Amino acid sequence: MPLLDPWILAGLAFLALLLAGLLSPLEALGWWAGWYGRRPEEEAVAPPWSGEAPPRQFVVFLSGIHRVAGRPFARREVALLERLRERLPDACFLEVFPYSVTNRALTGQRTFARFWRWALRMKLSPRALAHTAGMVINLRNLWQVAVSADRRYGPIYNHGSAELITEALLAAGYVPASSTHVTLIGYSGGGQIALGAAGHLDDILGTPVDVIALGGVMASDPATLQVGHLYYLYGARDRVHRVGAAFFAGRWPLLRYSPWNQARARERLTLLPMGPMKHDGNDGYLSATALLPDGRSHLDVTVDVITAILRGDPAPQRLAA
Amino acid sequence: MQGLEYVGHALTLDRRAFGLLDHGSGGLRLALTVVFVAGVSSAVGQSLVLFANRVAPRRFAASLVLSGAVFTVVYLFWSTSIWLIAGYGFGHPRPYLNALRTVGLAYSPQLFGFLVLTPYFGSAVAALLSVWNLLAIVVATSTVFHISTLQAAASAALGWMLLQLLQRTIGRPVLALGRRLRIAVAGRRLVPLTEALENERGL
Repeated sequence: MPLLDPWILAGLAFLALLLAGLLSPLEALGWWAGWYGRRPEEEAVAPPWSGEAPPRQFVVFLSGIHRVAGRPFARREVALLERLRERLPDACFLEVFPYSVTNRALTGQRTFARFWRWALRMKLSPRALAHTAGMVINLRNLWQVAVSADRRYGPIYNHGSAELITEALLAAGYVPASSTHVTLIGYSGGGQIALGAAGHLDDILGTPVDVIALGGVMASDPATLQVGHLYYLYGARDRVHRVGAAFFAGRWPLLRYSPWNQARARERLTLLPMGPMKHDGNDGYLSATALLPDGRSHLDVTVDVITAILRGDPAPQRLAA
Repeated sequence: MQGLEYVGHALTLDRRAFGLLDHGSGGLRLALTVVFVAGVSSAVGQSLVLFANRVAPRRFAASLVLSGAVFTVVYLFWSTSIWLIAGYGFGHPRPYLNALRTVGLAYSPQLFGFLVLTPYFGSAVAALLSVWNLLAIVVATSTVFHISTLQAAASAALGWMLLQLLQRTIGRPVLALGRRLRIAVAGRRLVPLTEALENERGL
């Protein structure tokens, strides 16, 4: 029987996906159980705040599921953060790798680091087949999103993420129990991680934090009722966001008493339509080349809306497309 | 038919597997192996409580083995109650070992209990496995005791109720022993995750 039989390949791919899913909670659970010792420092995270006056607010960015480490390699995410830093010079922006509660880059101190380095090379390759192979990174991180969204494992995973974010905030000069505002921005699957962590951060920091989910793939997490406010930015052509909304039953309008729908009823959750944007790529939220009828690029609109939210604008939706 | 073939047929709820095991002389070792491995597999799927309580790796492994043993004891009690109800309640008595062998094989779906570990889908998988297991037990009971599917389902349900009754009455010392054993093997009292998290936060 030839190995390249499509059915055999499909079966092997399914088994690999299942195995990846089975193993996915073990990193967070093993970390909680203390099986891996202390967290390594390799991904520590935040440069200290270098401004003269203390920052007026802290903003923590949690990337999409393509990420392998704390530092972004996607030029569009880099551009988003640069633009936000320009627009809000008195805000301290931090980045945290959201897909490992042990704070280890996939390409860092791991048994399979060589495999992940290979996957990253594939992902960055211009060849379509190689790029597809590199999507194994997305699948791995997608399972971590499922761990965060799981009612059983979520409390552990989200507590770990909240601790990582707290460490990054303290390293950047955040003063505990101060009134300095904290906002988490989660892009794609990072939206779920941000929401889950925010539910624990209010206990740790002693103040509720806001969450901005950009094309968020997120469940009706109990944390939806604990965050200060959740802003959910979505594009009309974003299929990934639609899959998330259909997949997580708690977000169906039918289930009125789910945390998601309760938060909507209490006006703690704002849905912000962003216009005809896709999830990623040339027509995505972060595209600097795709233009809207008013002449602004998708990236311009995304930056405008996020900036308005961070400035406390009561009606950020007027800046959307 | 080899052991894995029996399991394969049991998974498809094929009466022939239960019938062959009923009429053969062996099979008790196969049944006990299936039940014990299914117990360990289910314990892997539900190992969150061990992680939540920070059980060390060796004690973790020992706890899984203990869970397999406890699972086997529960199976023995349930099989016995099914044997009593289906055999004497419905007037079709069969040898005790035949009931043990076939009901044990019917635990085959729980061999996949480790899949409950899968995030987000795990709870649905657990429900699916429970229903699958119950259907297999009904088919096995119906085959061995030559009773209708409805009578077999009633035997399984009444047997389960009898098991619950035993656990709350004369079975209490056995349950208490099981709890003490779990604590001894895990090295600590096992608390729910929410309590472990509250302890972590100092609440």
